[in-house]
Amino acid sequence: MKTGIKIALSVAMLASLSFGSDQFAMSDADRAMYAEMSENNPADIMVADGEELLSYMGGDEGFAKYLGVSEDDLPAYIAGFPRYIKKFDMVVGLDQVIQAMMADGGHKPLKLKSGNMFSLLAYVKSIANGEKINIDVNANPQMKAAYALGEKTFMTRRGGRGLSCNSCHSADIVGRVLRTQPLPDLGAKGAKAAATWPAYRMTKSSLRTMQRRFQGCMKNALLKVIPIGSKQMVALEVYLTQKAKGSEINIPGLKR
Amino acid sequence: MQRRDFFKKLGTAAAITAVIPAMSFAGDAKPKGPNAMDFDTAVKTITGGKTPKSSKKVKLKVPEIAENGAVVPVTVTVDSPMTASNYVKAIHILDGKNSNARCIDVFLTPANGKAMFSTRIKLGGTQNVTALVELSNGEFLMASQSVKVTIGGCG
Amino acid sequence: MADKRKSLIKIKPKRYKDGEIVKVSFMVMHPMATGMTKDKKTKKIIPAKYINSVKFIYNGKEITNMTVWESLSVNPVFTTYMKINGKGKLTVKYTDNTGESHEKTKKIKPRG
Repeated sequence: MKTGIKIALSVAMLASLSFGSDQFAMSDADRAMYAEMSENNPADIMVADGEELLSYMGGDEGFAKYLGVSEDDLPAYIAGFPRYIKKFDMVVGLDQVIQAMMADGGHKPLKLKSGNMFSLLAYVKSIANGEKINIDVNANPQMKAAYALGEKTFMTRRGGRGLSCNSCHSADIVGRVLRTQPLPDLGAKGAKAAATWPAYRMTKSSLRTMQRRFQGCMKNALLKVIPIGSKQMVALEVYLTQKAKGSEINIPGLKR
Repeated sequence: MQRRDFFKKLGTAAAITAVIPAMSFAGDAKPKGPNAMDFDTAVKTITGGKTPKSSKKVKLKVPEIAENGAVVPVTVTVDSPMTASNYVKAIHILDGKNSNARCIDVFLTPANGKAMFSTRIKLGGTQNVTALVELSNGEFLMASQSVKVTIGGCG
Repeated sequence: MADKRKSLIKIKPKRYKDGEIVKVSFMVMHPMATGMTKDKKTKKIIPAKYINSVKFIYNGKEITNMTVWESLSVNPVFTTYMKINGKGKLTVKYTDNTGESHEKTKKIKPRG
C-alpha cells in the first residue's frame, strides 16, 4: 500500500516535467554561448592549484611512480579509472589513490570531501585530457562486481519519493526538461558525463567532482546520501564511466 | 499637488521604518546595496546627459534564457578600427533591475587592437542587459537585450 | 594582509607573433559579495566584498582599466583583446572594496 503511494508520487513528479519544446527551454544559440564559456573556466584556477599541490608530492612523475606506470603511459592509465588496484585490494577512484599516496608519503591525507582534494582530483584527471575513457569492467572479478553494484545503485528506488537515479536519468526522459535543464540520459551508452567531471558548477560557484554531484542529486531527490569513496559510490562512478567509455576526457567541465 | 505631497509623506514614513531594522518587518526588507543606482541615473551619470543612439555597430551577446541567474555570460563587441584617432573609449555593461544598474565600466585604448569585452554577471530576475559604448569622438552608442532568468534544474 | 588570492591570466592563442591581436582573460577566485545576501546558516547579512578595480598593464603601459561593481559573478572573468607589441610582461592589478589588492603577471613571448 505504502509503496503504491510512493510510486504514484514519483509518477506525478515526472509528469510535472515539461518537454523540450516548452517555451522555457533554452535555444541552441544560448547553449552554444554557455559552451563557449568553458574557454575561460574559473575551475582552471583550481586545476592549476591541484597541480601545485601534487608538485609537493612529486608531481606527475611521483604519481606515475606510485601507480607503477611510466610517465608516458600515465594519461591512458588515468583514463581507465576507477580501477581495481591490487595494493589496496579494492576498486578505487583517483582521489583514493591520491589519499593513499599522501599517507604513504608521510603527509596527512586530505579528506575525500575537501576543496583541496577536489582540486587535486581535477588536476590528476586533467592529465588524461584528450585521452578516451578506457575503463575495463571485465578486467577482473572485482571490476565486474563493482559494475554490477553500480548498476544496482543506479536502479534501486529509495528515499521519501521512491526515486532511483534511473527515474530521472533514463531513456524514458529524453527530451524532457526540468526547469530549462534537459535531463541527461546517464544510463545510455555514450553518455559523456564521466568525461567532463570534475567540473565548475555555476550554481555553487565552485569545483565539484562527480561523486560530490551524485550526493547533491541524492539529497535533492530525498535519497539518503551515500558517502564519497564508499563502495557504492565508487561503483556508481564505475557504472557511469563505463557508459562514457570512448568519450574524450575534457577536464574541468563547466556545468550549470 | 496635494496628492503628491501625501505620497511624499508616505515615502518618508516608509524610509524611517527602513532605517530602524530592529523594528517589525523592516528586518526582512531587502537591504539596499552599497552602490544602489537605477538604470536611468546610471546612463545619465555615464553619458553626462547625452542621449545614446541605438546602433548596430554594438553587438551585445547575452543568452535569451539564462541557465543560472548567478552566472550570465555577456559579450560586447564594437565595430571599430581601434586607431589612435578613432577607437572605443569605454564599454559599460548595465542591467535593468539589479539594485545597482552598473555592472562594469571598461576603459579601452587603441592598444587593445579590437573593441571587445566579455564577462559574467549576476541577474536577480528577468531584465534587460544594456551595452553602453563611448567612442573617442564623444559619441555614445547602445544596444539592449532582455534576458529571461529562470531557476533551472536540480540543486 | 588577506590571504593570497588565486588568479590566472590566459592568452589565446597560446603561440602568437609580434603584432598579433590576442584574446586575454583574467580569472580570479573572489566572492563578489553584494552586501545584500544573507548567510543561510547564521541569517546575517554577508558584508559587501567585491572587486572594484582591475587594470591590465602591458610593459608599464595601462591598456585597459575597469571600474567593477558588485553585479559581476562570483569568481569573475574579464576578457578583452590586446595587440602584442614586443616581449615583456602583462600585469593585472586589482583591488576590492575592502582595500585588498593583488597583482598577477604573465610573460609575453611572441614567436617569429
